[in-house]
Amino acid sequence: MPEVRSGPRRPIRRRAVLAAAGAGLGAALSPTLSACSTGGGNSSDGITLRFTWWGNDDRAARTEEAVRLFESEHPGVTVRTSNSDFGSYLQKLATQAAGGGIPDVAQLDYRQVSQYADGGALRPLDADIGDGAIDTAEMDAEFLRTGTSGGEQYALPMGRGITGYAYDSAIYEQAGIPTPEPAWTWQDWAAANREIAALGLRSPDGRPVSGANDGGGNEDVFETWLRSRGGRLYTDQARLGFTEDDLTEFWTFCDELRRAGAIASARDTVQADSTETSPMGRGLAAADFTWDAPFPGYPGLLGDAIHFSPVPSTDGRQGTYFKPSMLLGVGAHTAHPGEAAALIDFLLNDRRAGDILGFTRSTPPNREIAARVAETLTGAEREIYDYARTMERYGLDAPPTAPPRGDIAIKDAFNRTYQRVLFERATPRQAARELVDEANRELRP
Amino acid sequence: MSTAQRTAPAGADRTKHRKPPARRRPHRDQRWPASVFLSPWLIGVVALTLVPMAVSLYLSFTDYDLFSAPRWVGLRNYTDMLTEDPRFWRSVGTTVLYVVVAVPLKLGLALGVAMLLRSLVRGRAFYRSAFYAPSLLGASMSIALVWRALFNDGGSVTAVLDAVGLPADGWIGDPDLAVYVVVLLTVWQFGAPMVIFLAGLQQIPSTLYEAAAIDGAGRWRQFVSITVPMLSPVVFFNLVLEIINSFQVFTPAFVISGGNGGPADSTLFYTLYLYERGFTASHMGYAAAMAWLLLLAVGALTLILFRTARSWVFYADEEGR
Repeated sequence: MPEVRSGPRRPIRRRAVLAAAGAGLGAALSPTLSACSTGGGNSSDGITLRFTWWGNDDRAARTEEAVRLFESEHPGVTVRTSNSDFGSYLQKLATQAAGGGIPDVAQLDYRQVSQYADGGALRPLDADIGDGAIDTAEMDAEFLRTGTSGGEQYALPMGRGITGYAYDSAIYEQAGIPTPEPAWTWQDWAAANREIAALGLRSPDGRPVSGANDGGGNEDVFETWLRSRGGRLYTDQARLGFTEDDLTEFWTFCDELRRAGAIASARDTVQADSTETSPMGRGLAAADFTWDAPFPGYPGLLGDAIHFSPVPSTDGRQGTYFKPSMLLGVGAHTAHPGEAAALIDFLLNDRRAGDILGFTRSTPPNREIAARVAETLTGAEREIYDYARTMERYGLDAPPTAPPRGDIAIKDAFNRTYQRVLFERATPRQAARELVDEANRELRP
Repeated sequence: MSTAQRTAPAGADRTKHRKPPARRRPHRDQRWPASVFLSPWLIGVVALTLVPMAVSLYLSFTDYDLFSAPRWVGLRNYTDMLTEDPRFWRSVGTTVLYVVVAVPLKLGLALGVAMLLRSLVRGRAFYRSAFYAPSLLGASMSIALVWRALFNDGGSVTAVLDAVGLPADGWIGDPDLAVYVVVLLTVWQFGAPMVIFLAGLQQIPSTLYEAAAIDGAGRWRQFVSITVPMLSPVVFFNLVLEIINSFQVFTPAFVISGGNGGPADSTLFYTLYLYERGFTASHMGYAAAMAWLLLLAVGALTLILFRTARSWVFYADEEGR
């Protein structure tokens, strides 16, 4: 912005102000209008594939290493990679999809599969599986179905994940709470939180330590709670599976615990955006609901007293289930479908790639590789592997069908709307009504 | 906003106050060369502004999720917004609060500093640049990130407040205070209107002040009777631009709230909500409708400002009107 000119002294004219105002108004529309993307292409001496994913630094480093190995085995193929955090990744991919430019190979969230497949953004992979370009012999057929839409395979799961409960065993011992077992209940959980808060422990910065992070804003936790009572999030692609009453009950449950100081405070909950900044990561809470893949971050941060245990049940019925932690798909407009399929096959089925990737995306879907890698696991990674096996033996209800396309927005709304309860801007019932209304608008065909 | 002259043709066309083409018409032979020289601008305006605007208007009457073709829904986006969506009104409330608080504060500070600088004899250029610097930095992501860190739990500002005995929790996590973190960031960038005020102050003939001083007018009287009316076009110019810009605040709100307008929707600015509808929830039609409503609202507000301006803005060139 250049400085105002100091030319000949002239009073400011009315028209100049008008003109500037007009120009400023024109810019008002610009936020919605900027969306574009570019496709990949041939480099001068071979093929360039684009491969994008989200994840933390550890996952990024391992994925890069596996990709470099793929490149060395496929001379002439260059893989251009790009990695970002989950939130911005979803937005970026949506913009690319609108421009017809989904990368050749893209990591996908379970919630994206039906939306992207129905919208024609993904390439069906049945032919590649049929001719053996992608080998699925060592994968569980039931589990593979999570990557289908309308009976066609559009994506392949990269890992099998499950939710669990990270807790500080030292604090649990101090409070005299038994180690959480698969049959422990939500009431046991609430009581444990109250007992921990009653210990009067202090965090490193001198504030009271509560029993757990507040899971009220986490749709995954609500789903676990709901399923343990025999409910489900969605009845079908256009209808919610729970009512305003269900949600009111859940949010009242969390709200009362928070008010009693048994779970994390509102301000600590809303400032959390990662393992490190969550109340547990900051030493302000003794436990957290988390997925298996990010769990090793907690012992890495807080020490070996942190363990992974089952989420609470309702009278012994577990709400958690095995879910594809993420999937791999091929962009519908790729110029190199053969190489894209080869990269997917390599990442999923090559032993060396399996060794490199380890459990960074939860349990590998290829049974042989999972068993092989499991032998080398130690510490936290071993623990999540054992946890998954324990839960398999305990018995879990079948996973729900893939969530409807509105679920991305609903998951987001879930967290936001609960913040109104956190800061007492709405009662649990008012907030539940708002969420159900918004969800119904999202699911409207 | 920097060069009113450059944008004058486009802006003048959009107003009703256009005067009939009084000047001589371009000579025939000059038309083609003129079009050729204008074409970069013309192509830009058509391809990057007019066509997208038309598409946006069309999309605002559709349900468009980026994947399937837009589906015509008539006025549903607009009626949903106005009657069914509580967050829409929350975002309007947040934005209006922000405009009402931030714009007067920023302009007041800019005028105050400009007056101080005017009376400064030595080092004016240095201070002018120094105060202007935040305006150059302010739009960047990095400054917004620093701001977030300053006001977070454990941030420097939080620590200072704690040291002097004020409430020591980070403002970012408090729904009553989070919006003021954005306000402060905006006010801190008072440099751009300040430079314009300073230029305006320097345009006021010193003879007026000298005559007033001889008549026995004090400093306050001089300010009210000379500075304010002579500066009123500049005040008006800054006011209009700041209001338009404030309604479009996005980057600082996005970064400071962590991208979701939180906590509890307290920093859910209009543009942030618009962005979220479009790019997170994939409701491009709804987002387009929001953009058009913003355009209409800000346009109407600007029009009202121009109407009221007749009674308080003094244009030296239209004295005899």
